[in-house]
Order: sequence, then C-alpha cells, then structure tokens
Amino acid sequence: MRRILASCIAMVTLAACAPGTTSGGGSEQVDDKTLTYLYFTDGPDEQATRSLIADYEKKSGVKVDLQIVPFDNLEQRLQARLSGGNAPDVARLTNISPFRSDLLDLNQFQKAALDGQFIDGANAYVKGANGELLAVPSDLTMNGPMVNVDQFKKAGVSLPDVTKPWKWEEMVAAAQKVQKANKTQYAIAMDVSGHRFSTMLSQFGTAFFSADGTSVGLDTQKTTAAVKLFADLNASGVMPADLWLQAGSKYKAANEIFLAQQTPVYISGNWQVSAFAKDATFTWAAAPNPCQETCGGFPGGKFMVSFKQSKRQQAAADFIAFMNSKESQERLAKEANFLPTRKDLISSGVDYPQRDADMKVFLADVSRTPPQAFASSYSPAFAATAKATVDALGKVLAKSQTPEQAVETIKAAAEKAIKDTK
Amino acid sequence: MSPSHARRAKPWNQRLAPYLFVLPNMLIFGLFVVYPAINNFNISLYDSRNGRDFTFVGGANYQELLSSEAFWSAARATAVFATCFVVLTTVLSVALALMLNRRIKGRAFFRTVFFLPVVLSPVVVGLIWGWIFDRGNGLLNTVLGRIGLGQPGWLVDGGLAMIVVIFVGLWMHIGFYILIILAGLQGIDPTYYEAARMDGATNWQQLRKITLPLLRPTTMVVIILSLIAGFQAFDYIWTLTGGGPIGATTLMVQYIYENAFESPIRYGLAAAASVVLFITVFALTLLNFLYGRRKEAT
Repeated sequence: MRRILASCIAMVTLAACAPGTTSGGGSEQVDDKTLTYLYFTDGPDEQATRSLIADYEKKSGVKVDLQIVPFDNLEQRLQARLSGGNAPDVARLTNISPFRSDLLDLNQFQKAALDGQFIDGANAYVKGANGELLAVPSDLTMNGPMVNVDQFKKAGVSLPDVTKPWKWEEMVAAAQKVQKANKTQYAIAMDVSGHRFSTMLSQFGTAFFSADGTSVGLDTQKTTAAVKLFADLNASGVMPADLWLQAGSKYKAANEIFLAQQTPVYISGNWQVSAFAKDATFTWAAAPNPCQETCGGFPGGKFMVSFKQSKRQQAAADFIAFMNSKESQERLAKEANFLPTRKDLISSGVDYPQRDADMKVFLADVSRTPPQAFASSYSPAFAATAKATVDALGKVLAKSQTPEQAVETIKAAAEKAIKDTK
Repeated sequence: MSPSHARRAKPWNQRLAPYLFVLPNMLIFGLFVVYPAINNFNISLYDSRNGRDFTFVGGANYQELLSSEAFWSAARATAVFATCFVVLTTVLSVALALMLNRRIKGRAFFRTVFFLPVVLSPVVVGLIWGWIFDRGNGLLNTVLGRIGLGQPGWLVDGGLAMIVVIFVGLWMHIGFYILIILAGLQGIDPTYYEAARMDGATNWQQLRKITLPLLRPTTMVVIILSLIAGFQAFDYIWTLTGGGPIGATTLMVQYIYENAFESPIRYGLAAAASVVLFITVFALTLLNFLYGRRKEAT
C-alpha cells in the first residue's frame, strides 16, 4: 500500500511539471541533401507537385520526401511532430495561426525571391510583427458560383455576362426560373461553411474584420441584410436548409447536389473546377459572383512554410522559393486549375489547358474582391468566427434565433476570437 | 508457529511472484491510463492554442466552462442521451436476453442478428443510418412517403435527431449487453425454478422472485457499462449528425474533441471538460456500485 502511494506521488510530481515543450529557436543545421515536405492534396495538384519536385531534385540534387497526410489530420499531426521535436522541413497549410511562433522567417534566406512577390491582401497574415516572412501564399482560392448550362438552356434563361456580373436578386430569379423549368429540388446550393457565407457578407459590403484585421468589421445593418436573405432563401426552399442543419458542426460541401443536377446554381469555389471537369455529366460553367454593394468573391488559400525546428532551413527556403517561382506556380496553376498568388501572374493571367474560360471567371473576381475580404480571410481570428457563424445561421434556419440575434452572436464571437488571438 | 510468522518465513521469490505477475499490466496501465489522466488534470490548469506554448491560468478554464453556453448545451444533451440510453439498454437487454434464453425457433439466428451490429465500425454505422434517415432522399422517408405518412425531418429537428441517435446507439450496442445478461441467466441454478414450479409459482412469479433478483449483479454491470458508454458516445454520432442540428446532439466527448483537435485549438479547455466528464462518470459509477452493494446486502 505504501509503495503504491509512493508510486502515485511520483506520478503526480512528474505530471505537475508545466506541460509542453517550448518551440526551439534555431537548431543545428545539416546539409545532407534531403528535405521532408508535409503535404495534403486537393486531388489534381498531387501529380503537378510530384513533377515539380522531380524537376527540383534534378536541378538541386536534394531528395524531397513528400509525406502526404489527410487534410483532416494535418493540423494534429503537425502539432504532434512539433511537440516531439520532429518538425518537417516544409509544410503546406491552410491555417498558419496555430503555428506562428514555430515558423521560420523565410526572409533570412530568400528575401529577394519571395518578399513582396505575392498578393498584398495576405501580407498581414503571412508577415510577423517585425516584418518576418513566415509563410508564402502558394495558391489562392476564390469562392464563386457554378451553373448548370444545360438546365439554363432548357429553361431559356441566359447565362450571366462574365464581364458584367449579375445582382443577387437577378441570380435568385434566374435560378428559380431554371429550377421550375427543370423541376430540380433546389435553385441555389451553398457549402455549409462560414468561409462560403463570408462571400455573401463581402458582397453585402461587410466582413468579419476591419481592413487591418485588428478589430471587428461587421456592419450590423449589412450583416443583418445578408443573414435575412440567406434565411429567406433557405426557408422558401430556394436553398437546401436540411443540408445546413444535418451537417452539425462539420463542413459539408453541396457538390453532390450539383452533380446530381438537383440545383442549377452552386456557390463553392475554383477548387471544384478540376473535379467537375472529371465528374460532371452535363455542361456547366463558372459564373461571376453576384454583386450587391460590392462585387467579387471571397479568397482563401494554401501556404508553404518552414519551421525554426528544421535542421535544413536554407534548403527548405530554397525549395519554397523554387515551388513559388513564376514558372513553377504557373505550371501548378495550369495542371491543377489553381489560381496564382504571385502579383506578376495575376496581372499577366494564366492560360489554362482545360476549363480556361471558367478559371478566367474566377481570376477576374480576384481583382473585384475588396481588400477587406482578404484581411478577413487571412485573420488569425477567422476560423473561430466562421465556426460560430455556421452555428448562428443554423439557429436562424431552425427558427430558434432571429437574424438580428444571429448577427449579435457572430459579432460577439468575432470580438472574442480577436481577443483570444492577441 | 503463528500464521503471520509462517508468512514471513516464505522465501522472498515466492512473496515477490504475485507482484511480478501483475507488474507488466500495472506498468502499462500506469503509463497509458493513470499518468495521462493525471497529466490531463495538469493541462486543464494551462491555456494552450498549439500544444506547445502553455500559459498557467489556474482555474480559468473551469470558470470559462461554467459560463459557456456550448458546454452546458453539451452537458444537457449528454444527460438526456445517457439517461435514455442506460434505461432503454437495461430494460431491452434484459427483455431480449430473457427471450433469447428460451428455446425458441431460430434462437441462434436471432442471437447473431442482435450481436452483429456490435462488430461493425461505428463510423460506418453512422454513415449508413445517415443515409436511411436523410429527409429528402433517405430510405426511411422514401418508404414513409410511398405509404402516405409524410417525410419527417429526422436529422433536422433537434428532438427527432436525439431520438435517432439514441435508437442507433441501442441498435449498435444492445447485442453486447444481451450477451452479458445471457451469461448471467446461464449462471442461475435451474433447481430454483424446479422448486418454484413444484410450489406452483407462475412464470411471472418466477421472473419476479427468482430471475430478476438473481440477475441484479449482472444488471448492475450492464447499468455501469452502459452509463460509461452513454457518457462517452461520440464516434457514430459524429458521422451521423455531426452534433447537429444546431448542437442538439453535440455530446460532451464531441465538445472535448472539437476544442482539442479543431481550429481554434483550446487544449486547456478540452482538458478541463475531460476532468468534469471523468468526475461525473466516476461519481455516478460509484453511486451505482454502492447502491448495488446495499441492495445485495438487504
């Protein structure tokens, strides 16, 4: 008994130390011509990435170990590896916020090749307090609608002019006409995601956060208008309310509804282009985002990073510079139907071998998207606010909250998220 | 020689042997259960957004929990789920075990049918029942629609979704509890029934006066195990409803999971919720255990 007690005391003492390990600063560097790259794939990008890596290996003599993990598991795995002092040399992330203190300043190694080359909207997110370059925006995503061209034709409804975007009410009216003519279940579908709903907010002239990303930017009146429209569309059956309610707290795409031809308009993003090119059994096209107070969509993207823990910092930065050079990014964009993040590529444009017209629609919306949307999307407080937004909208659809109450809930969540990330 | 003296006289290796036999298990249990549990309590006193940088906050996580609407919503849903699950599991497992213990036709077939869901992956169970209960295109509503019974929103109405989640939980686990009760029934000495029949006892009297009282320790095991399972339910609910609609089926373990592993990560908060859950389950199990002991003593 005494021995058991002694063991317990030993365990308590052991556990009573502060948990975790501090993120190491510099680590002993090695030059062994190898690199580990922790990666998740969106699908079409994998082959393009592999062929770029093969080129890099030939050119540099560095062997890159591509470690592909499921997206759902990426953040946890990386946390575990950083805790165990086993960080990869390079990683591809959608959210750098949880790792900011672990990230390597790439300006120390590749300032000329990387600094100032990418969309300004991401600067507040990828830059450290002292101007360090903590991440490189490696590809840009743009939310926007896709339409079932066959169903529009059958209904005798003309497609929107890609140079002169439609208004929300025009899009809804057209979608309802097409729905009626084709007897589809819904007229418009949208992924269950706070990020996707942010597209509506931006079009109504507001965003979660201010242009500098440091305070809540939600305009009560504009946000309420967006929430009300969203609620009305779901209540009237224009949108599938069940999809939102059945998703719980999980992200859920509405792509299956579009592919099953049960909605003529689907609001998602450019990452669907490759998948639809392969899977859609009908004619479809990307349409410009509807305008309300402002035009454009809502951005997102992926980032390439290295870590202070890495024992191959120079090689990691060189590899990131190569993967995000004009030539590499253009190749990846063409092969995977990605949008570029480099300023030079955005201004010159990219000619896509497949679905070029659709990608041009998304690219055109990049320049129409207001800076506040970029600031909002790249805010460290975005994830928490987006999650609270999905919950609040769910309550509106279930009629357990009014749109006005939902707006207050979202604003409070944004306040808290900003406070939590400071 | 006194007995205590005889014990002392045992050679050291004989005295050590029992401890050596249990040592591997104790080490594994200590390393993978006791230490993490103690360390979890420790983590609950810190705030961490990335699993590496920890700031000591004392009881702040517990304060935040108590003032969190999401936590109380999860606690309420867990209480409802666990209560219904335990009661229905106990009643149904006893009733079905009694039925399967009789010499009925196709007994082996029915035993297999009830036990089969136990070996299925919970994730798959959630997905399959999700397709069945889907309002628009689900199998159940297709059938109900054909016979003119409308199309209930099984997974979009909070109350109905909780009923669905409880039903699927029962369907998935009941076979396991039936097995436990069946083992208990097999352990009852048949001579009791013979004596009762000779005294003219009816089937109902035999059930009330012999079966149920002698089954009490086994039933206690079922109650305790189903209570723990009810409080730990997560996997199939995650794939079936995702905790929806609007948090109606978000139970404590999902609340913990979301705080620990989904952006924005809150390790300390998740650890504090785990401690609360542990204390709750431990206290309820202990109460059940003590109540069972007292019943047995009387």
